[in-house]
Amino acid sequence: MTDPRDTVLTHALQAEGTFDPGRAPAGIKRIPSGVDGLATEHLVVNIGPQHPSTHGVLRLVAELDGEEVMNVEVAVGYLHRGIEKLGEHRRYHQLGTLMDRGDYVSGIHGELAAALAAEQLLEVEVPPRGQWLRSLMSEVNRIASHLVWFGTFGLDCGAMGQFLYAMREREALLDVLESVTGQRMMFNYVRPGGVLDDITPDAEQKLRTFLRTIDSYLDEHHALLGGNEIFQKRVRGVGVIDRETGLAFGLTGANLRGSGVPYDVRRDKPYAAYTELDFDVPLGATGDAWDRYLVRMEEMRQAARMCRQCIEGLPEGDVMAKVPRVLRPPAGETYACVESPRGELGVHLVADGSDTPYRFHYRAPSLFAMQVLEEILPGHLLADAIMLIGSVDIVLGEIDR
Amino acid sequence: MLPDTTVVKTVLTGVARAEVTATSLGVVVRVPHEDTAAVLSALKSSDLGFVMLVDLLGTDTDEDVELTYHLRSFARDEELYVKCSLPHDGVLHSVWNVYASALLPERETAELFGLTLAGHPNPARLLTTDGEQPLLRRSVPIRTLKEVRDR
Repeated sequence: MTDPRDTVLTHALQAEGTFDPGRAPAGIKRIPSGVDGLATEHLVVNIGPQHPSTHGVLRLVAELDGEEVMNVEVAVGYLHRGIEKLGEHRRYHQLGTLMDRGDYVSGIHGELAAALAAEQLLEVEVPPRGQWLRSLMSEVNRIASHLVWFGTFGLDCGAMGQFLYAMREREALLDVLESVTGQRMMFNYVRPGGVLDDITPDAEQKLRTFLRTIDSYLDEHHALLGGNEIFQKRVRGVGVIDRETGLAFGLTGANLRGSGVPYDVRRDKPYAAYTELDFDVPLGATGDAWDRYLVRMEEMRQAARMCRQCIEGLPEGDVMAKVPRVLRPPAGETYACVESPRGELGVHLVADGSDTPYRFHYRAPSLFAMQVLEEILPGHLLADAIMLIGSVDIVLGEIDR
Repeated sequence: MLPDTTVVKTVLTGVARAEVTATSLGVVVRVPHEDTAAVLSALKSSDLGFVMLVDLLGTDTDEDVELTYHLRSFARDEELYVKCSLPHDGVLHSVWNVYASALLPERETAELFGLTLAGHPNPARLLTTDGEQPLLRRSVPIRTLKEVRDR
């Protein structure tokens, strides 16, 4: 029996020079034609790497049956810059600069993880004001990062308006970060021993203005996107990651909390000034995309709450401990982690007593969040697959490193 | 928090020849590489409840490649590191059956340290293109600006 479409396929593939006569094309599995003579076949589609809804340069190799995703494989590496290798050839002060280029949406957290690891090896005590500024800038950066997620997640679901509002709020936060650190994205602000500089009066003024309005604006954003019936129908009950799957795939952060596991590095392994700050850890119930959405929205409110506490409670004093110009930690091994907007961001350092790390490893939360896509996407529609990539909030910079 | 070394030793009795020590990193269990999957599965199913593989990394110690499996127990709020060593041309046996989170880190470790990946559903390269050197080996230098320009 011949399939009428065979000839078409053969011609198309011969033109590209990939067809091997006598063998079915790789990746296309033939399904016997149905009773009405209509043949269906699985189609392998490359989504990305240059695609706006892959959040960077992720390539998904999706096997489709009609509109349904049967199988998915993630292909990464397009942004591989060898950050871990470069780290072995940089001094401890310079690791923060590399970490900024990992998760470029929330640079402060990456720098902080690298600085904490170096401080653990050196046994340096950071002055209280430095600790509080670290927490403050982390939370400012967390809101900015979640706003990017909020805007683009809506875009993935087909909504446009909230993106522009999210960018408006983020601009205010980037102005604060720029005023304090001098940069809008690659801050290089947190250093081993403390932070680069004190908060400026201008930044404090801008942040206070922002914090006056953010809660009501967040309610508005939530009403605009979360209150939309189409959006709710797209995300509710879709992409369920249950507790066991989340733990098995190493999910952390809002993705794991969306599945109901109460783990937050800030609360369970406190760093910076988080022991002195008052905040709640929001949890999801079922682990669907809607729960992850609600958890992140609540995290923004909690982050704003912590920012207020930080501004009011900022202790006086130095922002930087006295550390040598060239750091030479004693030989040893350590792991330090922070709660980045994407989950547990860890830095694993092996020191050999010289001025550069012997091994510098970076635990990227997005890598583990991306792994779970291969598990949860099959069985969903292609349009939902795009939404689910947005719902786990990945940044390819830290996956490829 | 640090797990009790005697409890860890008791769990691993009869599973593998394990050496449990407390180091600057935390409590480290050193095992032969062949037994890694058995050790991880024993730790996961025991009362210690190490349900999550947080991370997997390799370190080139010049003589061999040292693998570190970072485990976490939420029930007891404890962390444990399982270490094993492989020769530079060794075979990395996958533990994805025990912890699915090892899938991508194993591919990355195998390619960047030049190891062969065995028992993995998709042992392809993850980050770099075919024919690239094992970049994270200490013997592979980073290119200087001049070398890049002269290429």
